[in-house]
Amino acid sequence: MKEGTVGKWYKKEGEAVEKGEPLVEVISEKATYDVEAPSSGVLRKILVREGVDVPVNKVLAIITGPDEAFTEAEVRVETPETAAETEERIVASPAAKRLAREHDVDLSLVKGTGPEGRIVEDDVRKFIDDASGAIPKVKETILLSGFRKVSAERVAASFRTAPHSTIAMEVNASKTAELHQSTQVSYSAILVKAVAEALTEHPRINSTLDGDRIKLFEDVNVGVAVATENGLVVPVIRNADKKPLEEIDSAIRELTEKARQEKLAKEEVSGGTFTVTNLGMHEVDFFTPIINPPEAGILGVGRIVEKPVAVEGKIEIVPMMMLTLSYDHRVVDGAPAADFLRRVKEIVEKASEI
Amino acid sequence: MRKITYRDALREALREEMLRDSSVFLLGEDIGRYWGGAFKVTDGLAQEFGDERVRDTPISESAIIGTAVGAAITGMRPVAEIMFGDLTALAMDQIANQAAKIRYMFGGQTKCPLVIRTPFGAGVNIASHHSQSLEAWFMHVPGLYVAVPSTPYDAKGLLKTAIRGSNPVFFCEHKLLYPIEGEVPEEEYTIPFGKAEVKREGADVTVVATMYMVHKALSAAKQLEKEGLSVEIVDPRTLTPLDRRAIVASVRKTGRIVVVSEDCKTAGVSAEIAAVVAEEALDYLDAPVKRVAEPDTPIPFSPPLEQHVIPDEKAIIKAIKEVV
Amino acid sequence: MTLDLPKESLVKMYRKMLEIRFFEEKVFGLYGQNLVPGTIHLYAGEEAVAVGVCSALSKDDYITSTHRGHGHCIAKGADLKRTMAEILGKKTGYCKGKGGSMHIADFSIGMLGATAVVGAGLPIAVGAGLSARLRKTGQVVACFFGEGASNQGTFHESINMASAWKLPVIFVCENNLYAMGTRQSRIMNIENIADRAVSYGIPGVSVDGNDVLAVYEAACVAVERARRVEGPTLIECKTYRQKGHSRVDPAKYRPREEVEGWLQRDPIKRLRHKLIQTVISTEAELQEIEKEVSSEIEDAVKFAVESTFPAPEEALEDVYAQI
Repeated sequence: MKEGTVGKWYKKEGEAVEKGEPLVEVISEKATYDVEAPSSGVLRKILVREGVDVPVNKVLAIITGPDEAFTEAEVRVETPETAAETEERIVASPAAKRLAREHDVDLSLVKGTGPEGRIVEDDVRKFIDDASGAIPKVKETILLSGFRKVSAERVAASFRTAPHSTIAMEVNASKTAELHQSTQVSYSAILVKAVAEALTEHPRINSTLDGDRIKLFEDVNVGVAVATENGLVVPVIRNADKKPLEEIDSAIRELTEKARQEKLAKEEVSGGTFTVTNLGMHEVDFFTPIINPPEAGILGVGRIVEKPVAVEGKIEIVPMMMLTLSYDHRVVDGAPAADFLRRVKEIVEKASEI
Repeated sequence: MRKITYRDALREALREEMLRDSSVFLLGEDIGRYWGGAFKVTDGLAQEFGDERVRDTPISESAIIGTAVGAAITGMRPVAEIMFGDLTALAMDQIANQAAKIRYMFGGQTKCPLVIRTPFGAGVNIASHHSQSLEAWFMHVPGLYVAVPSTPYDAKGLLKTAIRGSNPVFFCEHKLLYPIEGEVPEEEYTIPFGKAEVKREGADVTVVATMYMVHKALSAAKQLEKEGLSVEIVDPRTLTPLDRRAIVASVRKTGRIVVVSEDCKTAGVSAEIAAVVAEEALDYLDAPVKRVAEPDTPIPFSPPLEQHVIPDEKAIIKAIKEVV
Repeated sequence: MTLDLPKESLVKMYRKMLEIRFFEEKVFGLYGQNLVPGTIHLYAGEEAVAVGVCSALSKDDYITSTHRGHGHCIAKGADLKRTMAEILGKKTGYCKGKGGSMHIADFSIGMLGATAVVGAGLPIAVGAGLSARLRKTGQVVACFFGEGASNQGTFHESINMASAWKLPVIFVCENNLYAMGTRQSRIMNIENIADRAVSYGIPGVSVDGNDVLAVYEAACVAVERARRVEGPTLIECKTYRQKGHSRVDPAKYRPREEVEGWLQRDPIKRLRHKLIQTVISTEAELQEIEKEVSSEIEDAVKFAVESTFPAPEEALEDVYAQI
């Protein structure tokens, strides 16, 4: 032991002490122990206050006889250093402090270059830049506003409240491709029609959770996700189950165009009961879509790609497509969801029913 | 574009508004056909509009403003001239207690569309009673608007807005600005109150300046440009309403601000602007707010004394350098 | 006293004076019940001045008033209910509770408002006169102020200006002998404020301000002169406030005999006496009027007391007019 920290003093200055009684607590690296009074008398002066580190053999206090003369003039009292003495005040501009706050920067590590050595905003920015890797450099900040903001909140709310489960099935798209080729009807329209058909047979998917009850919809209104410059919009094809394919196709074209021109009316983007989102044209094989609230399910459509497939023991090249279904697990369980998706698969693979 | 003086721009505004609206009339000491105003702003208007509408008054500042108030609340649009801004002290009750409060006190029953024009500013060696800049007095009176044009363009546009408005406007002019020339279009225009103008764009430091100080700040900015400093100059153009947003926007951009105003520093125009920045833009400041203003003394007579107290380019440059 | 006025006019004057008196007595009472915030300056005793002058004006003529202004308002034809409501600080008051006892206005009847800065109303009256001139409407302005205000600079500035420009303004000095607690003789070396008119080159007349017909006559002369574009007149009405300066003032600085002497010359009693003596009105007729006025005042009090206070945030409204 080379040094210790003075802990609690058990006696006050002016109090009588008996030889051997505990006088002061000393804390070392290994233990805390009491220092006993080396002699009897009066504790005249405490020289080292609580909290101060001192080397071994340092005089901690003066004990004199009751009537012994004592002058304070020569003694120096050790007191703990105050925070002000130990910590140097960091001089930084309010702007620098704000930036540091925003990026969790410890200002004591930043060198100031402003007037009188003040840390200015630029110093913090440079510090952030230098600490490359630790903090990604921001190129541009885009304020979340308007449509983007609403969309962000909806997606987040959906993901937070509806426990998502996603299942996938690969389907043979040759009939669908033929239908597309022969009629020029879009894949989205074919999928919407297929989904609408399937929903009429699986009403549990065509539903919403409202508080403590599940509402099954009679109407089958299928939304189609459309990417626009401002973000995703979902125009709705009403009663898609009752509309012929051509009508669905032209409705999708019309609504897509309106969406891109931001001309969709409120009723054209509301009232959906299920959504189809197609990323096939972006060469996506499959993905897990997020449910468009308050609906209970969403179908993700991947691209059609020719693959070697074993058909009756032979390898054939078949155009295949991946369908993924995300569903609200509070409303539907895996098996019924799978039944629904299988029905969609059947319709798509036959295509003739459409 | 054609260039005209600040004085001519003011006269054009008065003339155009008098032609446009027969309820507009002028009153003040020696503003009529024999003198045309101590600074010639109304020169020739009495000849055109007659002595009834361009009315020489007795030397009775309180009655000039009180009369304007009485006329304003009974359907006229008076424009009163107080020959020197210092003399508004004589009319202070009518300005601060009557004109400014008459609408409020009476629960919005009336409007007081009154303009009080007066020149402020030092620099022509006419000592303590003819040289002050007292804009801040009037900023402290709710119910008044305070306009502080720095250019012929602003002078004309703001005066027209003042005359057409429904509230009492304290319209500050500056003696040294009267002969200054600037571009003023022939076409009709007005300038809304509460809309500052960035008189010069810059990136390193914001200077908010008013009236004649705008020109000194512009000249300081030019000198500093050679040293690589980019100074932005914001001219509030009206002190009430004050375009806080424009000031804050500029500070957010530059992180530094120097406020330059010719009035006394204590509780002055610069104090208010500094307070706005402290309240609304503190987190964007990289240096303390600096103020360049007159020291708290009356304006002395002798040229070296007077020059010592008026803020100049040197003081502005010094303040800017202290914050960058 | 000339009584060649139609009975209808005389009775109307009597009724107006009563309205003011009963109104002021009510305000005094309500103040005692803690229903009137702030302070009040009562007009009781001076009714003949306001009623005499306003009887000589048309509805579209203007008046300006003072801190002791309830009487001017009522004489010019203000609604008793809205006046009372304003004094009580209610939303239904003339100024939506922003003005109070010292700042009542009704621009719809040419009552341009009461200013509580002594002497401040004079130049405003001059401005209204100038405005009438410029707009060529033939309106005149009666400007009420006290003898105390005649020592303000604005008195001099305003009368001089109105005189120089021959503006249609009637300066009505209500000389009630005391500027707050200071007797006129202690601060002025003249007895008649009207004498000051000489220095402006206009007529100055002193009349018995407790004689409504004397005031009316002088006002009619002044109004005619004003309408003929001959310029202003200074009418001094010698009168007396029956109460102290404000509600808190017991007015102990006034000798008892003086007060009693003036109470003898109460303007309302005098007109009443005259009406009976000259057989213009019967006792029964006048009692009927008194009953009617009394109930009108009760209605006004009821309206004011039952009205709501303005919402606190209304304090922020009406500072500026929308452009």
